[in-house]
Amino acid sequence: MLTISDLVVRYGAAVALDRVSLTVERAEMVALVGPNGAGKSSIVNAVSGVIPIASGTISLSGRAAQVPEGRHMFADMTVEDNLRLGAWAVKDRDVAPIYDLLPDLARLRKRLSGTLSGGQQQMVAVGRALMAKPDLLLIDELSLGLAPLVVADLAAHLRALNRETGTTILLIEQEVDLAFELCERAYVLEAGRIVAAGTSEQLRSDPSLRDAYFGRDVEANAPSAPKEQR
Amino acid sequence: MTKWMRFALIAVLVVVAALLPLFLPDLTFYVQMVLAAVVVTGLALFMGFAGQASLGQGAFVAAGALTVAVTTVELHWPPLLALACAPLVAAGFAFVVGLPLLRLRGHYLAFGTLALLLIVQTLVSTVPFLGGGVGISGIPALGVGELVIPDQIGYAYVALAALAVTLLVSRNLVSSRFGRAVRALAGSESAAESAGVDVVRTKLGIFSIAAAFAGLAGGISAFFIPYVSGESFPAVVSFTYVIMAVIGGLGTLWGGVIGAVLVSLLAQGLTTLSASPGLPTTAGPILQYAAYAAVLILALIFLPRGILPSVSSAIARRRARAPGTLTALAAEQPVEAE
Amino acid sequence: MNDFIVYVVSGLAIGCAFALVGSGFVVVHRVTRVVNFTQGTLAVFAAMISYSLLAKGVPHGLAEVIAVLATGAIGLLFGLIALSRRGTPPLISLMITLGLSIFSAAVIILVWGQDPLSPPGLRGSLSIAGATIETQRLLVAVVAVVVFVGLWLFFDHSYAGKGLTAAASNPRAAGLVGINVRRMGLVSFAIAGVLGGIAGVLISPSNAMSFSSDLPLALSGFAAAVFGGLTSLWKTLIGGLVLGVAGQLVAGYLVGSYQTAIALVMMLVLMIARHRSLAVEEAK
Repeated sequence: MLTISDLVVRYGAAVALDRVSLTVERAEMVALVGPNGAGKSSIVNAVSGVIPIASGTISLSGRAAQVPEGRHMFADMTVEDNLRLGAWAVKDRDVAPIYDLLPDLARLRKRLSGTLSGGQQQMVAVGRALMAKPDLLLIDELSLGLAPLVVADLAAHLRALNRETGTTILLIEQEVDLAFELCERAYVLEAGRIVAAGTSEQLRSDPSLRDAYFGRDVEANAPSAPKEQR
Repeated sequence: MTKWMRFALIAVLVVVAALLPLFLPDLTFYVQMVLAAVVVTGLALFMGFAGQASLGQGAFVAAGALTVAVTTVELHWPPLLALACAPLVAAGFAFVVGLPLLRLRGHYLAFGTLALLLIVQTLVSTVPFLGGGVGISGIPALGVGELVIPDQIGYAYVALAALAVTLLVSRNLVSSRFGRAVRALAGSESAAESAGVDVVRTKLGIFSIAAAFAGLAGGISAFFIPYVSGESFPAVVSFTYVIMAVIGGLGTLWGGVIGAVLVSLLAQGLTTLSASPGLPTTAGPILQYAAYAAVLILALIFLPRGILPSVSSAIARRRARAPGTLTALAAEQPVEAE
Repeated sequence: MNDFIVYVVSGLAIGCAFALVGSGFVVVHRVTRVVNFTQGTLAVFAAMISYSLLAKGVPHGLAEVIAVLATGAIGLLFGLIALSRRGTPPLISLMITLGLSIFSAAVIILVWGQDPLSPPGLRGSLSIAGATIETQRLLVAVVAVVVFVGLWLFFDHSYAGKGLTAAASNPRAAGLVGINVRRMGLVSFAIAGVLGGIAGVLISPSNAMSFSSDLPLALSGFAAAVFGGLTSLWKTLIGGLVLGVAGQLVAGYLVGSYQTAIALVMMLVLMIARHRSLAVEEAK
């Protein structure tokens, strides 16, 4: 589905991505984790074609749509308009399938998206991306600024989406536990380089990795029992 | 450019400037160019440091010119006193008007200053005290008592002296405490504010100083061309000042001089060209307009910092992004990631 | 009373022209954050082109339509130049459009000379409420209303119009869904050209235009747009009408030469009074 080889991205003199390689197979849910500033967003933006590439290759079979970090609503427009605009590049502007998948959005269809809560906006952003009927969904920082329950709800929808439609998902996440919870495989990005890769199980229980890259997050996320009970 | 090279260059410029009037047959162009440099030096400072565009600087030129015209013709003041008052009145006018006006930013301020110019034009054309429909003529020659300037050359040197004063004041200003506040302003208004700079007062200050320079130029021109009316300050001339400021380099000391000289020479060259056979007589002003405009457009697209790149980029490197700030934004290289 | 009605009606007609020019400012600004100084110039171009076409015998209606379409193309050209460099800050683009307006003045002098021109308009007049109103002025009002309704339908109820609004609202997200933000900017300039052109074609039979007419038109149009905070089209219409009527009343009952000054003072007062809310709009 998506193969990135030796990708190099620069912002002026600074190197944001230094020969990054990763693959995402069809219908997989893969996570990309790492601390702030590691360059995670750069990968997603490079795949979406938003930023130029210095060298390396990105090969994508099919269409990708991005759920941007920070949601980026068309604030003065309704939820329905936001969704329909997601279909700008494709012919079919029918919103019904999205409402089937995310019923809450149907309830909010006439609301101005700028007036919605963070979680609701995130749902609109996901719905908007899905309107383009993508084969690959790139999600940049799903949980940013959202309450755990809200994030859990979104994660459930994404899992259902992947199961029912086979949509491939690449999830950029700072919140490590969410990432490993949702995705079977993950890459760890640090300072523009992939420093670890493997299944979530492997990475989750690798102590040296956790100490080096997740530090205090380990302690902070340990008592996350409520999240496990679903 | 080392200090000595700079000094030598300036010395050469001064000598050339001082000797030119002795060789040129008609000095109208020369005087107007030097006076434009005076106006634009102030404008370049304002636009560079406050980061806003003033499309109506002619309003303050008018203030200075009118001060001279009204006080000498209708109040019979001595010419030197009148000239001394010109920059003061212009600065005072700018201060009073700037209090409300400088709350505007970006294009609102640009249009606001333009509106100010047109309102001043209307007043000059209608209010009898300011010339009514006929303008004020019969302005006496500049001088002290019996000693008056008899010919154009005298005014050329007066204009040069004014330019020298302007440059000196500007230089000392920029390196003073006030200048530090102004430069802080150019970087980022919010940063300057948190550093304790009174943003409003600083902006007002530089606005008034630029106006004072413009008023001085206006005052001298009132003596040089002893007639002032509503037609004396067309909007297109104010636009030309902006063009000169942009070409010469915003926020720099010599930007005004460089811009004024380059654009004036361009205009003169075109006028001479249009006098050549084959072109209609109306071609002159048209070509001038077209050329100014084309130069402005090209300069803005390709050289948004002006023709003094080394100085500008040095200043620009110290600047952070500030919304609505001209040079700060112009100095930024567009990052590809958008 | 008769005089009053005449002033109000001609004020409304001129106000419609201001509103049309102002709507051009609004459209471009909404999509690109640029203030297009050439709005007045576009009106003058349309007036001149329709004058020439009518003089050559092109029938009424067709000449005006061609002139408007031509101005749309000129607007597009201006957009190409003003938006040519990615990431140009809006204030610099304003100055580029200022340069374009000066350059255009030169072109207009070259092609049409320096004298004011006035194409023939609709002849005759109607009697309304006891006052005689020229048919041309009625035409202005009718067309302006139709145009504004059309703009409203386009921006608020058509997919393409919503795309334009989205490009303005959040260029980042717009780019992600596949909207070509730069192309939207060019489209907005073309629309502004058409709007300015309509204004020019409508108002020039009653008010002769020359190369220098662009400045007062641009200022009045901008003043009308300021009423709408450079974003609301309906408020721009109201603003234009208010300015037009106020100007005509002042010209009729007071001194004629204060007409522009009054409009300018109103604009200044409005901008300064609302400077905070205007600044908030800009920051978005």
